[in-house]
Amino acid sequence: MIEFSLWDILRNLLLALRWTAALSLVAFIGGGLTGALLLYARLAGGRVTDRLIGLYVQLFQGTPLLMQLFLAYFGIALFGIDVSAWTAAALALTLYTSAFLTEIWRGCVASVPKGQWEASSSLALSFVEQMRYVILPQATRVAIAPTVGFLVQVIKGTALASVIGFVELTKAGTMISNTTFKPFTVFGFVALLYFALCFPVSLTARYLERKTYGPRH
Amino acid sequence: MMLSKRKFILALAGAAGMMLAGASAHAQSALDDIVKTKTIKIAIPTDYPPYGFVGLDMKPQGLDIDMASLVASKMGVKLELVPVTSANRIPALQTHKADLVISSLGKNAEREAVIDFSHAYAPFFQAVFAPASLPVKSWADLSGKTVGVTRGAMEDQELTKVAPTDVQIRRFEDHNATIAAFVAGQTQLVATSSAVADNMIRKNPQLAAEFKLLLKESPCFIGVAKGESALMAKVNEIILAAKNSGELDALSKKWLGRAAGDLPL
Repeated sequence: MIEFSLWDILRNLLLALRWTAALSLVAFIGGGLTGALLLYARLAGGRVTDRLIGLYVQLFQGTPLLMQLFLAYFGIALFGIDVSAWTAAALALTLYTSAFLTEIWRGCVASVPKGQWEASSSLALSFVEQMRYVILPQATRVAIAPTVGFLVQVIKGTALASVIGFVELTKAGTMISNTTFKPFTVFGFVALLYFALCFPVSLTARYLERKTYGPRH
Repeated sequence: MMLSKRKFILALAGAAGMMLAGASAHAQSALDDIVKTKTIKIAIPTDYPPYGFVGLDMKPQGLDIDMASLVASKMGVKLELVPVTSANRIPALQTHKADLVISSLGKNAEREAVIDFSHAYAPFFQAVFAPASLPVKSWADLSGKTVGVTRGAMEDQELTKVAPTDVQIRRFEDHNATIAAFVAGQTQLVATSSAVADNMIRKNPQLAAEFKLLLKESPCFIGVAKGESALMAKVNEIILAAKNSGELDALSKKWLGRAAGDLPL
């Protein structure tokens, strides 16, 4: 049997880390854009739109991400459409992220006092102008902490993509530890690498919060 | 901007219809598809040495991978490996993620209800292993002990059948977790395949683990989706030829250290 040196283990894990980072980025960007669109539709649309989006959010919040990944990978294939593990994981994580982000942001917008809406509409601002100049600047400040908290969850959530055979950090760790039978070393590295990915994200959030709150203190 | 409700439903129905048509076009034509695309998709394990595991370059290797290349080269088509976990082997076949499953797949009645099996291509047995210091002579001795097993694997079903009711069976998601739990002392015994156990015993001499009880002799078969009789005939033909020419024995010697022996048809 082949022997993996420490460097071999770390090198292969670092290569796999690229996929975890790529999957997280796709989920952030795709989920953020979709989430923002949904938020806009929800604020601007009528009651039916609000209900529909509410249902969408409940659907993704109320089912485990693991099931969503299985359904995206095996479920779509039942209809004769061949989705790769990468496509399925990216799709499932994007939808999952968008559902959570739109709900988080809806809460942030709702936290802006009603008087702000009333005052801005009394100044004859259009909906877009109201959002741009009055509501969003206040909502954004509230949104930073929960958004980043959730993004860190998403990074760690990408680990679930390993169940559909997508080789990201966790799957690579499993494969290597099955060959080396050194689970503690391998998964120790895996945990450190996740930390190395998540910690800077949290640091950025702290910086952003300080930057937006700072002038008020 | 919004579609009317009726239009939306019609569009949905249309899309679903198209998908179903696509799905039914798939049935019974796996062999044609393979010939047409000149590619065969074979599901293999990546976390189950020596049947399928990764080398330094993270490329899969092992008995199952060699067998997959053998089948592909005999059919004269390109091989596309689909890595699967133990629990995903049969779904991969049912959803056409793979044309064949060569993933140390054992045969049992439940599996035969949903997929078809070729002739056997490699030997395999499962057993219960434990440190030599733990006295276990019969199934009754397992009483009150903890046994680790991989969820959904053959040994899980076999163990559940023969173990006394007061055995604590701990199920793990893959063989690695099962072995890790046993090595870490979280379970007193472990039910797994001879191949996995050999490796574990060699890497952890301090455990002094040994063979205790035989669960089942269950050679590996190639899994084919239900009703793909043309593909099945082709696969069986390849296995028989490889058996007669000694290629199966050679594979078995290379990875398991012993001849394939008398494999059932």
